[in-house]
Amino acid sequence: MTNSIKKEIVIPKPREEVWQAITDSNALAEWLYPNDFEPRVGHRFTVRVPGNPKAGFDGIVSCEVLECSPPSLLAYSWSGGPVVDTRVSYRLEPEGSGTRLFFEHSGFDVSQPRGNWAFKGAQLGWDEKLERLSAIANAADR
Amino acid sequence: METTIGQPEVFGAISHPARRQMLDLLADGERPVNALAGHFEMSRPAVSQHLRILLDAGLVTEQRYGRERRYRLVPENLGPVRDWIAHYDRFWDDHLRRLHEHLTKRSER
Repeated sequence: MTNSIKKEIVIPKPREEVWQAITDSNALAEWLYPNDFEPRVGHRFTVRVPGNPKAGFDGIVSCEVLECSPPSLLAYSWSGGPVVDTRVSYRLEPEGSGTRLFFEHSGFDVSQPRGNWAFKGAQLGWDEKLERLSAIANAADR
Repeated sequence: METTIGQPEVFGAISHPARRQMLDLLADGERPVNALAGHFEMSRPAVSQHLRILLDAGLVTEQRYGRERRYRLVPENLGPVRDWIAHYDRFWDDHLRRLHEHLTKRSER
C-alpha cells in the first residue's frame, strides 16, 4: 500500500494538444467532470464529481492551481470529503511525436503530524495477523 | 464516485488533528490514557471526549487495568480510509483512459 497514486500513459499527440486537454475547462469536463478551472497559479476552482452520501461526501472537490508551466507541468490541490489537501499533478514529456504523461495523486497523509497511521495501521494489522498465523502454524506442528 | 464505503463516523473521527495524532501515537503500541494526555495541551476531559469519539468509531479499544485505562488501535477498522485511496486509484485509471480517448478521438474528425 502506498500513499501516492502514480500513473504513466503515452498519448500519440504532441504535448501542446495534451496540455490543452488538461487545461481547457470544456475539455476537462469531457474526460473528467464539470469544473471552473483556469490555467493560472492561485486560481481556486471546484470539480463536481458524483457524491457519496454514505461517506458524507457531497461530490464537491475544492482545488487550487499550484503549478502551471505550459506545456510541461500542471499541479493542483484536491480536497473533497475525507480527502484533504492532496495534490494532483501532470507532467508531460515528449516521446517521439507523442507525449508521455506522468500523473500523480499524492499527499494522502499530508495532515499527519508525523508519519502515517493509516498505513502504519495497515502494517500493524498485517504483522499481528502474521504473528497469529505463525502461532497457529507452530501449534499445529506440535 | 460509487464506493462501498459506509462508515461516515470513521471519517468524522479522523477529521480532527488531535484525534489523528492520538491514532498516530497508538500506532506505536498500546498506551495508558495518562501517556496519551501528556502529548496534548488540552484538559483531561477534552482528551477523554476525543477518545470516546475514536471508541465509538471502532478505531480504538479501551481496557481497564485496575484504575488505569489503556487504549489500543484497531487497524482493521481503518479499512474505509484505505478503501478511499484504492477508490481513487480506479477513479484515475478510468479518467486517464477517457483523457486518452478524448485526444485520439479528436484526430479522427
